[in-house]
Amino acid sequence: MSALLQTRDVVVYFGGVIALQDVSFHVESGELLGLIGPNGAGKTTMMRVITGVVTPQSGTVMLDGQDVTKMRVHTRVRLGMGHSHQLVRPFKAMTLLENVALAAGFAKTRVPLRALALTSRAGERRRALELLELLGIADAADSTPATLPLGYLKRLEMARALALEPKLLLLDEPLAGLNHLEARRLADTVVEINESGRTVVLIEHNLGEVLRICSRLVVLDNGRKLGEGDPHEVMADPLVRAAYLGASDAAA
Amino acid sequence: MSIDFGAYEMTLLTTIGIGVTVALSLNLITGFCGQISLGHAAFYGTGAYCAALLTKSGVPFVLALLAGGALAAGVGIIVGLTSLRVRHDFLAITTMGVSFLFVGVVRQQEFLGGEMGVSSIPDHGFGKLGFMLFALAIALAVAVFSIYLKRTWMGYAFDSIADDEDTARTVGIDVGQYKLTAFALGTAIAGIAGGLYAHQVRFISPDSFGFIESITILSMVVIGGIGSVGGIIVAAVVLTMLPQWFQFIEDYKLLLYGGLLFAMMRFSPGGLAALTNKLLKRFAARART
Amino acid sequence: MLIFELFVQGLVQGSIYALIAVGLTLVYGLLRILHVAHAGLFTLGGYCGVLITNETGSLTLALLGAMMLVGIVGMGIYKLCYQPILSHPPFVALIASIGLFIAMEELYRLAFGPYGISFNQPPLQTSVNFLGMHLKLAEIITMLGAALLIGALALLSARTRIGVAWRATVTMPEIAESFGINIEQVRYINFFVGSALAAAAGVMVAVLNNLVEPTMGSVPSYKALAIIVLGGLGDVRGTLIAALALGVIEAYGTIYLGHLLDRDAIAFAFLIIVLMIRPQGLFGRAIS
Repeated sequence: MSALLQTRDVVVYFGGVIALQDVSFHVESGELLGLIGPNGAGKTTMMRVITGVVTPQSGTVMLDGQDVTKMRVHTRVRLGMGHSHQLVRPFKAMTLLENVALAAGFAKTRVPLRALALTSRAGERRRALELLELLGIADAADSTPATLPLGYLKRLEMARALALEPKLLLLDEPLAGLNHLEARRLADTVVEINESGRTVVLIEHNLGEVLRICSRLVVLDNGRKLGEGDPHEVMADPLVRAAYLGASDAAA
Repeated sequence: MSIDFGAYEMTLLTTIGIGVTVALSLNLITGFCGQISLGHAAFYGTGAYCAALLTKSGVPFVLALLAGGALAAGVGIIVGLTSLRVRHDFLAITTMGVSFLFVGVVRQQEFLGGEMGVSSIPDHGFGKLGFMLFALAIALAVAVFSIYLKRTWMGYAFDSIADDEDTARTVGIDVGQYKLTAFALGTAIAGIAGGLYAHQVRFISPDSFGFIESITILSMVVIGGIGSVGGIIVAAVVLTMLPQWFQFIEDYKLLLYGGLLFAMMRFSPGGLAALTNKLLKRFAARART
Repeated sequence: MLIFELFVQGLVQGSIYALIAVGLTLVYGLLRILHVAHAGLFTLGGYCGVLITNETGSLTLALLGAMMLVGIVGMGIYKLCYQPILSHPPFVALIASIGLFIAMEELYRLAFGPYGISFNQPPLQTSVNFLGMHLKLAEIITMLGAALLIGALALLSARTRIGVAWRATVTMPEIAESFGINIEQVRYINFFVGSALAAAAGVMVAVLNNLVEPTMGSVPSYKALAIIVLGGLGDVRGTLIAALALGVIEAYGTIYLGHLLDRDAIAFAFLIIVLMIRPQGLFGRAIS
């Protein structure tokens, strides 16, 4: 039982508001885990705790057996965590190719003074193009993000995260804002990525796709873990239904 | 037409060399790495004072120059630490504070000459022509270094930090380390420029390195076009020479700086570089029709 | 006794800072711009105050005239300088403002001379016995005047329709328009009020020192920036407290820290220390 990622009793509060209360779950190596829950459940906060944007008041996060709870964002990235944001954040002054190539060159950007001595970007550009092709957006490789539709930018987020060769890929609502067909296609790409050997944690609202592609689910509600396990079993759980639909429908 | 090349021209070119050097040094921090600094004169001044006091104690000129650069870099890294805590507006005001703090502290220290400053700074020993070539060589070296840096992976990382530093972290970039590196490099070069300045004018006082001076340096970067090495060189040359070309402008120099700064930001925030690009595009478009 | 005297001196100075800083924070709260040129309006107020008093003999007329005139100039600066560049990143407005400020100072120097101008007959110079101390009438009027003006501002923003519109625009800019609030009108009023307050400060300083000179705005302008950051950008109450606090700290600091750094640097030393401990300022809300 080798958990790639393990969170234990994570507590986060902002001001007087509790965002996460003793949340513990694990992610197995090779899984495609879905992290779901109604609005305000704390999913994005949990993701921020895992990636390092937020430090929990108590609790731990272990990556591959190593305690990363207090480590900074870029350190965790170098330990093998890649993530994409819910609100896309491309580098606006760079083309899509340059966006991804920068990530692909993570070995070269590790030490500033060393980076000063390195000029070649050819290898990273090739790798970037491969990833853009994998995500199906290579036709916009030389465009800047400003003119591109959301679907492209979501895929750019993923390509950039993949360029980091992560052991663990965290995707925060990659399907949000996409129409039915685009969402299905992107979800299929996520499956492809998972099947090529990367562990994926998917935060998503689009339950249809989640049920289709995830091997296991973890449900959050109001900052607590409500349940976890097989997707269909979890969705049949009355507590989970109540959380999503409101208590009055639980009996239905 | 014969060009008269006398003492006046050599002094002017030396001043231009120093101006270009210090403007390009700020460009590393503000232009390349995107960290706004309204206090750059403090590092210029640190280098000037350090080099001056060292040569007055008998230290050889070039060594004193390097020491000034090193001290300026040390102070620069400390100031750079503030950029890890605050950003944008807050960073602008903090660096503005550094400018005032520098003058405020230096004026009160007797060993630094207090309000009267440091005078009788020794001769550099290069001769007027030699010194001019030295200053111009340094300016050229800094320009070449800047262009080179832009092409390296450090330049690439800087681009991402200037663009969106939080996202830069998510691609594994240690933003803090890079910012400090930018400050270290930029302030070291400013310190060396300061040492050159001190030995050109042979007398320095705290008021030469205050907020107005910081703005003058920033204006060269901004008017030239933030991040554009070529634009900044042109701006530095023009802004240094303008008061010299028209003697009567000397009295209006500050008004000119202020007005130009305002006008540039109001009508072409990308500076001369952006203006040039626009003109070239229009020219190319017309040539095609 | 000295301790108490220093405290009152600090409050007088703090009152001036408050009048200047409030205008600055009003602009920041609304537009996210560091309106450095604001201090140029402070200086302009001083010049108007002296010139009008010397012409008409009435300080009251001068004060009102200065506030009105400078208020209008302030609105003009918004229209001509800031409105066109709002869509650019904030450093553009900041640098434009710095350029404008430097140009204004130079214009004053070229128009009125570098040594400044004074009142023909300095008003409010009578000495008043206040709790055992001798204060000039001018110093007392300054404190009272500042309190009155800022108090009036607080009242107006709480009770009038315009005040409510202003507060709505600051706290919820995107929604304010859909409530039928005329954003442009709010901005103009904002600049008018802030500039008028700065002009009042300028007139008071002119009376306190019996001198108005071109660079008198430099130091207060940068200090005002430090004050609004400490007070929490856009927060009027915080700015007020920070302004008075700084005035008092400077009064004591000049005496007790004078050997280390001069008076003007104290404000910035204080600011930098605070920002390093609390990057959002003394009263600012933490940025998540």
